[in-house]
Amino acid sequence: MNMLEIKDLTKDFGGLRAVDSLDLSIGTGEILGLIGPNGAGKSTVFNCVAGLFPPSSGEITFDGRRINGVKPWNLCKAGLARTFQIVKPFATKSVLFNVMVGAFAVTDNTDEARERAIEVLDFLHLKKRMDMRAGNLTIADRKRLEIARALATGPKLLLLDEVMAGLRPTEVDEVIAIIRELKGRGMTIFVIEHIMRAIMALSDRLVVIQFGRKICEGEPEAVACDENVIKAYLGEDYAAS
Amino acid sequence: MLYYLQDVIDGVLMGSIYGLLALGLTLIFGVLKVINFAHGSFLMLGMYVAYWTVSLTGLHPYLSLILVVPAMFLFGYGFQKALVQPIFKAESDVREPITVIIVTTGVWYILDNLALLLFGPDYRALTPNPLKGKMLELGEIFISLPKLYGCISALVTAGALTWFLRATRTGRAIRAVSLDREAASLMGISQWRIFAVAMGIGTSIAGISGVALTPFYNVYPTVGVPFDVKCFVIVVLGGLGSIPGAMLGGVIIGLVESLGPVFMTATWTEAIVYGLFLLFLFVKPSGLFGVKYDW
Amino acid sequence: MTPSRFKKILLILAVVLAFGLPLVLRSPTYLHILIMLFLFAYMTTTWNLVGGFAGVLPLGHSVFVGIGAYTSTMLWLQWGISPWIGMIVGGLIAAAVGTLIGLPTLKMRGAYFALATMAFVEGIRVMVENIDKLGPFVLNGPRGLNIPPLPEGSLAAFQFASKEPYYYIILIMLLLVVGLTWRISRSKMGYLLMAGGEEPDAAQALGVNVTRYKVMAMALSSFLTALAGTFIAQLTLFIYPKSVLTLDLSFELAFIALIGGRGSIAGPILGALLLRPVSEFSRIYLSATLPGLHLIILGAILILVMLYQPRGLQEPITRFFDRLAARFGNGNGGTEEKA
Repeated sequence: MNMLEIKDLTKDFGGLRAVDSLDLSIGTGEILGLIGPNGAGKSTVFNCVAGLFPPSSGEITFDGRRINGVKPWNLCKAGLARTFQIVKPFATKSVLFNVMVGAFAVTDNTDEARERAIEVLDFLHLKKRMDMRAGNLTIADRKRLEIARALATGPKLLLLDEVMAGLRPTEVDEVIAIIRELKGRGMTIFVIEHIMRAIMALSDRLVVIQFGRKICEGEPEAVACDENVIKAYLGEDYAAS
Repeated sequence: MLYYLQDVIDGVLMGSIYGLLALGLTLIFGVLKVINFAHGSFLMLGMYVAYWTVSLTGLHPYLSLILVVPAMFLFGYGFQKALVQPIFKAESDVREPITVIIVTTGVWYILDNLALLLFGPDYRALTPNPLKGKMLELGEIFISLPKLYGCISALVTAGALTWFLRATRTGRAIRAVSLDREAASLMGISQWRIFAVAMGIGTSIAGISGVALTPFYNVYPTVGVPFDVKCFVIVVLGGLGSIPGAMLGGVIIGLVESLGPVFMTATWTEAIVYGLFLLFLFVKPSGLFGVKYDW
Repeated sequence: MTPSRFKKILLILAVVLAFGLPLVLRSPTYLHILIMLFLFAYMTTTWNLVGGFAGVLPLGHSVFVGIGAYTSTMLWLQWGISPWIGMIVGGLIAAAVGTLIGLPTLKMRGAYFALATMAFVEGIRVMVENIDKLGPFVLNGPRGLNIPPLPEGSLAAFQFASKEPYYYIILIMLLLVVGLTWRISRSKMGYLLMAGGEEPDAAQALGVNVTRYKVMAMALSSFLTALAGTFIAQLTLFIYPKSVLTLDLSFELAFIALIGGRGSIAGPILGALLLRPVSEFSRIYLSATLPGLHLIILGAILILVMLYQPRGLQEPITRFFDRLAARFGNGNGGTEEKA
């Protein structure tokens, strides 16, 4: 069974169609990459899946259950976690506090939540920063904290929205290693990313969208050579030469 | 019937002056996303400046605008730069800096009581006042001239502000910042300058309201307080951040106040104003002209 | 001795001192000042559940004080129901009202909540001032309600001949509510409440039904605040709309909390400790000669604290005690408890 099924998803904002009859599915344990030029509607797809906006039409099924219009907090409890493109830490609180909030999605006990949070922080190499104020973290650490919080909720499906943007190459490699490790643990992962090197290395499959429509889908190597994709990214002149 | 018409006219005229004052508040809110609790005190300040200008120089009341508008603009600009901006910066990772609201409250306390300390608790009527008691007679209807001029100045100010926000560079920058601070600053707009300009304009609008009020309204240190609360009601009725909303909200409150006492005691009228406010909050929180999202 | 042990001992000493004070301090005037101090510390602590933890700015908590005061007094005057029971009834009514205000407004950003709570107090005050009789109950409009004093005092009637019982009642109420806040701040509810108050979108994505937690906090805070209303009624034996249903009281709670430190346990107590005496004494000694000066001082304190200590004065004071504890409690030994 697929972890996530999107059928004929459309999302309008006023007169603007951000996502246009998109079909998409992610198998259990798979890493699917979603790419496309700026403004293609990638984040809108995420926001619809994560329950931030209800879809205008179409159907989203997560783990065998229809989730149109289900609230974000209920989705999180059902095992769907996300990160935000613009990170939103609880800035005045400690790093540990931030991750414990995520851990409370699976436990009511403060000590258990703390243990769980420390485990996750350790996994993300953030344990040494756990008493720091989250607002004082570097960009790279903030991005990692964003992942840590989502992981602490114990997700089956993880939605990563540009978690590598703004990182240095070595830091990107670190995050790639972390995501691979998560896949090794059987987690299903849905990634939006602009850094081509990272998404090519990570994804089992890629979906490319432009103006809210899917223009290509397939293995990373195949997608990279696809004529429509090259056109979308580089413009007409470069295609079919 | 004529009796009601008289009240309706009074309500619309007074309400438009409420709307004028609320215009400043709604502009500041729209840009900074902060309620300025000192707005009533700014009005008080404007009234005192107008009062002293007229009584010391003998100028026509409306000519005091020449002094009031730039003085109040500078005051608002300085208030933003000196007090609000440092706190905004210190709390940059806090989404809604409650500390800023509290600072405006502190300024309110200081200004009102400073006025009390300096000028005493007396209610002062403008002298010399060429407009005192002047009425326009239309058959059996009497229209207070200073209120009529106040209404006209409200309409002119609202029109000018709308034009300014649409047509000028600074005005468009103000609108951009109020829509999305981050995006605006990516476009090279300095949000700090815009914040200060908006605060300056909002404050000088409070000053204009002060000039409009002094010919028929006494000046005293806490004169801003009743106006303050009314302004909050008006901006929520009209939709926080909306210019036509502020004017219409003002007129609604003016009408409730002038027509209410015909049907019930004046104190119940006050309760109706709050009731209306809460009803809007619960049923249509975006107000008459507000945007549905964000606020 | 470890630093955390040192702090615990200091805390116990402070509580013992508070309990022993009336034995030494026989003057009713000073006892009254202390009672008022504890009362404000209590009300600000309950305010803090919403204003601190839930990250919004309630500016109308006096409405709950008023509900508590009026409910217990009306029940006592009309039907002779003990104010202790009236206290609970008032609390429950306040919780219902708090939920009612919170449900629509806590969904939106803070500005609406602040304005709505403000308008609510003003609306209720104007209404009470206009009502002389409500069903079987006498309200007396602006003149308010007198509770006939019982010279002998009676526990059941919540009336005492001397100040000491009032002192101990409010002290115990304060300790209980501080303990409760401490427990909440370390529980799941506290974490999720603070998370939702700071970044609602992120909190929702992490499984927090933000509005639900805020409304829960509002209901609890309203309930506890109303208990203070009954206490005020029984202490003064005279309540009227301008004493318990005013914006001034609502604002004062917010000021104390912000000066002391919003969202911390010690903040409200410290704030009351610092601000009450300042406002009390400056009002007594300055208002006759220079009217309004005490409010100018209050405004200036507010602005200075917000400019230089936006997290309130609890931050430097806690730091001072931490350093003290580290020195006296032989610093490097022992595991320091993290706040």
